[in-house]
Amino acid sequence: MDPFSAEGELLNIHNYFHQGQYQEVIDFDTSSLSPENALPARILSLRAQIALGHAEEVIADVQGENEPELIAVGALAELAAGNEAKALKVAETLAGEKGDNAVVQVLAGTVLQAAGKTEEALALLSQHQGNLEAVALIVQIHLEQNRLDLAIKEVQAARSWAQDSLLVNLAESWVGLRVGGEKYQQAFYVFEELAQAPSTSSTQSLVSQAIAEIHLGRLEEAEAALQQALTKDPKNADSLANSIVLNVIAGKDVNELTSTLASTAPEHPFLRDIQEKSALFDKAATKYSAKVSA
Amino acid sequence: MASSSTNMLTKFESKSSRAKGIAFHPKRPWILVSLHSSTIQLWDYRMGTLIDRFEEHDGPVRGIDFHKTQPLFVSGGDDYKIKVWSYQTRRCLFTLNGHLDYVRTVFFHHELPWIISSSDDQTIRIWNWQNRSLICTMTGHNHYTMCAQFHPKEDLVVSASLDQSVRVWDISGLRKKHSAPTSMTFEDQMSRGNQNQADMFGNTDAVVKFVLEGHDRGVNWVAFHPTLPLIVSAGDDRLVKLWRMSETKAWEVDTCRGHFQNASGCLFHPHQDLILSVGEDKTIRVWDLNKRTSVQSFKRENDRFWVIAAHPEINLFAAGHDNGVMVFKLERERPASAFYQNNLFFITKDKHVRSYDFQKNVESPTLLTLKKLGSPWVPPRSLSYNPAERAILVTSPADGGSYELIHLPREGSGSIDPTDTKRGQGNSAVFVARNRFAVFNAAGQQIDIKDLSNSTTKTIKPPAGTTDIYFGGTGNLLLITPTAVHLYDIQQKKSTAELAVTGVKYVVWSNDGLYAALLSKHNVTIVTKTLEQVSTLHETIRIKSATWDDAGVLLYSTLNHIKYTLLNGDNGIVRTLDQTVYLVRVKARSVYCLGRNAKPKILNIDPTEYRFKLALVKRNYEEMLQIIKTSSLVGQSIISYLQKKGYPEIALQFVQDPTTRFELAIECGNLEVAVEMAKQLDKPKLWSRLSTEALAHGNHQIVEMTYQKLRQFDKLSFLYLTTGDEGKLARMAKIAEHRGDFTARFQNALYLGDVTDRIQMFKEIDLYPLAYMTAKSNGLTEECESILEATGLTEEQITLPTLGSPLTPPKPIVATFKANWPTKATSQSFFEKALLGQVEGLSLEDEPAATSNGFGLDEAGEEERNGHLIEADDDEDVAGWDMGDDIVPEVESDFVNVDSAEAGAGSSEADLWARNSPIAADHVAGGSFETAMQLLNRQLGAVNFAPLKPRFLEIYQASKTYLPASAGLPPLVNYVRRTVDETDPRKVLPIIPRDIETLATGDLQRGYDAMRTNKLEDGSRIFKGILHALLVNAVSTASEVDEAKKLITTASEYTLAMAIELTRRNLGTAEEVAKSPEKLKRSLELSAYFTIPKLEVAHRQLALASAMRAAFMNKNYNSALSFANRMLANGGSPKILDNARKTKAQCERNPNDTHEIEFDQFADFDICAASYTPIYSGSAFEVCAFDGSKYQPKYKGTVCTVCEVCEVGRNGSGLKLVA
Repeated sequence: MDPFSAEGELLNIHNYFHQGQYQEVIDFDTSSLSPENALPARILSLRAQIALGHAEEVIADVQGENEPELIAVGALAELAAGNEAKALKVAETLAGEKGDNAVVQVLAGTVLQAAGKTEEALALLSQHQGNLEAVALIVQIHLEQNRLDLAIKEVQAARSWAQDSLLVNLAESWVGLRVGGEKYQQAFYVFEELAQAPSTSSTQSLVSQAIAEIHLGRLEEAEAALQQALTKDPKNADSLANSIVLNVIAGKDVNELTSTLASTAPEHPFLRDIQEKSALFDKAATKYSAKVSA
Repeated sequence: MASSSTNMLTKFESKSSRAKGIAFHPKRPWILVSLHSSTIQLWDYRMGTLIDRFEEHDGPVRGIDFHKTQPLFVSGGDDYKIKVWSYQTRRCLFTLNGHLDYVRTVFFHHELPWIISSSDDQTIRIWNWQNRSLICTMTGHNHYTMCAQFHPKEDLVVSASLDQSVRVWDISGLRKKHSAPTSMTFEDQMSRGNQNQADMFGNTDAVVKFVLEGHDRGVNWVAFHPTLPLIVSAGDDRLVKLWRMSETKAWEVDTCRGHFQNASGCLFHPHQDLILSVGEDKTIRVWDLNKRTSVQSFKRENDRFWVIAAHPEINLFAAGHDNGVMVFKLERERPASAFYQNNLFFITKDKHVRSYDFQKNVESPTLLTLKKLGSPWVPPRSLSYNPAERAILVTSPADGGSYELIHLPREGSGSIDPTDTKRGQGNSAVFVARNRFAVFNAAGQQIDIKDLSNSTTKTIKPPAGTTDIYFGGTGNLLLITPTAVHLYDIQQKKSTAELAVTGVKYVVWSNDGLYAALLSKHNVTIVTKTLEQVSTLHETIRIKSATWDDAGVLLYSTLNHIKYTLLNGDNGIVRTLDQTVYLVRVKARSVYCLGRNAKPKILNIDPTEYRFKLALVKRNYEEMLQIIKTSSLVGQSIISYLQKKGYPEIALQFVQDPTTRFELAIECGNLEVAVEMAKQLDKPKLWSRLSTEALAHGNHQIVEMTYQKLRQFDKLSFLYLTTGDEGKLARMAKIAEHRGDFTARFQNALYLGDVTDRIQMFKEIDLYPLAYMTAKSNGLTEECESILEATGLTEEQITLPTLGSPLTPPKPIVATFKANWPTKATSQSFFEKALLGQVEGLSLEDEPAATSNGFGLDEAGEEERNGHLIEADDDEDVAGWDMGDDIVPEVESDFVNVDSAEAGAGSSEADLWARNSPIAADHVAGGSFETAMQLLNRQLGAVNFAPLKPRFLEIYQASKTYLPASAGLPPLVNYVRRTVDETDPRKVLPIIPRDIETLATGDLQRGYDAMRTNKLEDGSRIFKGILHALLVNAVSTASEVDEAKKLITTASEYTLAMAIELTRRNLGTAEEVAKSPEKLKRSLELSAYFTIPKLEVAHRQLALASAMRAAFMNKNYNSALSFANRMLANGGSPKILDNARKTKAQCERNPNDTHEIEFDQFADFDICAASYTPIYSGSAFEVCAFDGSKYQPKYKGTVCTVCEVCEVGRNGSGLKLVA
């Protein structure tokens, strides 16, 4: 029986992880789990720690372990700790040897994609057999490649065998935000349902809800959701970045938010992107000048 | 108490002795009840109050009826009497005598002035109540006649008797006989003679048409169907019988069996195919007219029913029993409905699901029929709508409660039976999430959470005694118990909050989901989404429905009003209602509601009052101002409301009446208005109040005026003394002299320290000793001698007391009288300022000539240099970016291969934007800055892009969101569109922040504010910001393009005007300028040019006032005069105009200019934006292709000083804002 299925005992911890409720994952009481589920639960807990920024502790924790799953976790932790080369090496080895392991697929796939090895990541992930996490990852990679058509196919395929799963819903919503139109609203429903129920609400789901609202042009509602997210975690980089976007759209001042983001997450894609574009502007602007200069 | 009585809704019950007769008033909520105890009661069943009692009968009163139009009613009793009453005068008007035994029933005729009565004397009698005579006696029954009624339309009477028969009588003869004689033709007489065989008494007025036999015992009641040829009767054989008749015969149709005691009354439902009957078996029974089967029954514990009556119009019935009367409805009339965004979904009376579009105000055709839902006579109770799935959940109370889940078709195409419905048992069902709904089962006290395939995913045990459930915000339910409401978290399976509110019947969520209104029978409780009570209010009349407006005001309807309540509980009436309605939505001035007939209706309301109060609560002064200006919000109620709430200064704005205005002005310390009003009214009492108030404010100028008005000379003198105004004090002395008031004169002389005047005065009143003393003590020896001489005395003859030093009043240190020195802050509110259109800031007194900021001067200097460097000709135009007009760069070059590519990366949406649009802003949003610059260069000759950098980055920043997806990977980038509904990748376009509307409402107003408050550097920055924002922007319609162009012109004019004025201020301090004739000339010119750009009138006045003052100060009277004239022509606030008038008067004496400046007040010219010199009409000039600012020809090729981006004189293809 799939331990993550609706009846499985890992359903809740699994959902916590994918709803972005990392602290709940770590706090999850694993003592009552059946022995075969102990490892998956531990892996989820370690991954949650990485997501919360405790990569170093996780590296120490899995030091010397032989299970391929835990090695994969180690690689992910190295990646998060900034040792991309080391992580990549481990991931590539694992992908070659243990490519049929579901956890390896997901974690090594993540590392490969993060290192820019998209082809390899997709090749590894495509070996999955009914692993929804892998599906979600594939969808995300396709979207990053701007291959909306492939992402849609992937989601539809998953939908046929995993009707109502959280991950399928999420992946479908990610796709929906690219498609637009009515799909915005549907994505919104999914995120809102997660974000507004106290038991499933997390910064991640609130930010996602806000993003759907931004795309729907409902700025005030989006602002409320982001505000909720920032109240939960004032330093969350994605909340800050999207707040900046929202405030720019609404024509409000963003200096304070930008400096907060710059101090908490200087490497956020938003900031990097803006820096790039700023340089591009300066370069492009030099091509023009008045005939008669002052 | 009741068996299967789920739908019978008791509205009113009275306690009394046995009720034998009942009558509804056709219009008012009244019911007449005649009692076995000889009393007749008049009840208001809506309020539940006894209005009146009529007690003149002797013994039981059995028959009672209201007249349809007149304020009359008729009663008949066991005293054999028929009485006609007026309920207005509350008296019995007259009594009709004639019956020889108990009168059983009495009824008015629907149009003729007739009354029909039945009696135990076996007769039926018809009376004319106008001439109070018996016109017909109908005999034939051979036992008590228990009931007799007119047919509602035809000339027929039906009667029931204990002789076991029902008879139908033809009374057309009676009508003819009592109509005007001319209508009786010969034929009529003939036919009458032939047709009527005349009964045994030779009576042809009323003849028996049919005798209906079928009851085995006496018949107690009989009634006609309102439209069909049907008769229903109830008898002691416990049967209710249905009869049909044609022109020639009548026959029994069927029998309704069920009563197990004597059936005492029966009638047809006025609107539906139902029969109602009551009996001594203590039941009310409802029968299907067509099938003659029992539909429902209602049983009382102890009381036998004696009579039943139906309201002629509305769905109400009343039944009389052993202990009083009950008024009831058979079914809920509230149409089940739900709304989502702009659509209302509702179920009509014939169980069709329809939708109604609030925006278009159209009703859709039938989407579905629900004929098979529940049982035929039971309407659905509730409707819950799921927008994500376009599905509805309908509940019906039939069969112990059931629900159905149905998907709605996209288009309505008439009566379609739903396919693919899921159903189950439950009392209420609501959607709780996109793919979940909750079903509540009252009997089992259980809530099931089900998915869309109708399988239960979760089961919840609600708190004991739960009666209903409502949506409680995402993932939550509101559980209603009789005494409390619980907020229940479905995930956590526990109640997270509880609030004690009794008898909640409905829950209405606000549109933003933050508040909910809990409606009970008589209470509205407003709670937050976490179930904290915000406010509560009580209504004596029943509350029917409620809906929220978008601003957070709750509108609710009672039986007869629409009312509003703010979150803080302030409430009031919005309008009255003729009929009960169920509110569903408020939009602007329209309230959308469903009537009891389940038809959407739009009612117009005036939301001003609650909007205003809301604005007041939120301190949104601008909106209040808007309301004050645009609506006729006056009246005592709003004024007293404002006064009560402590806003006299706002109340002041509404009042016209001078007395009230004066009072309010005093209350809020607005002396200006108070003075104005006092002048109008001119009453001593008001002046003295004003003087006290002004004194308290320290406004002694007003105090002075009031004292003058009151002719209080002594107070006035003292005021002058305290303020140190010696000149006026001297005048007071003069006045005192004129008035011959010596005391006053003495006082004033003392205040002034004027010894001579004092002596003079003493002499005048023959007080020589005092005069002498004064002179002596002040050492005026000559004066002393002259006094002695005049009195003929010598110095030796008088004895003098010891003299002190002469009295000298202290000299004022500060000339307080010159200006007010208010001790109390004047409370001139935001409103007055805004209303009077007074713009402070650039005032004439404190205009700092020396505000050096280095900005204007530098710029001007730069322009000078530009000017010198200019070259006459330029051929470079061709070499630039001349690639044709508005062709999008790289048009669709690689569009096709995207879809076909099997693997590898696709092109991002940002790339698509650039392909899809010829607008620079869209290229910017797509990150394609190079092509955006190319476009701008080609369209407008933009060359200096540096100032646009913030705008470029702003647009770019707004274009993408960052969605956190899988852990460990960077967030997913999504592209924000302004074409929200578009999914075709060839048509999607990016969002552009700060669109024309925000610019026009936000930035432009801030620019105006800066102008008004004399913050010209800020203003200049703001207007340039507007220009930059418009330069890179996108709009959707051609009319918006025009609007944008207007905005560009405005911003450009303001930028220019501010630059001119700033340049002037940077010439140097006032002294420096005055010293150098060259600078002075330039300064005067610039101040004159400042008046040329096309500013708003109020702002132009400021420029003109400044120029006028500068010109006047420097003796350029002619120029000053022209400015004054222009100001007067513009109109505006009285203060400014007054000033202009004065200047004008002074200038007209000597209309010449001392300094010659280059400013021709009569010529038509523009100002060069680089050199700030005139460009007279007709002479050559260059323009900026973007903002339209004009330049002397020599500036061609420089960067425009207004927008700072475009090259002057480069003619591009024009700004493109719309795709």
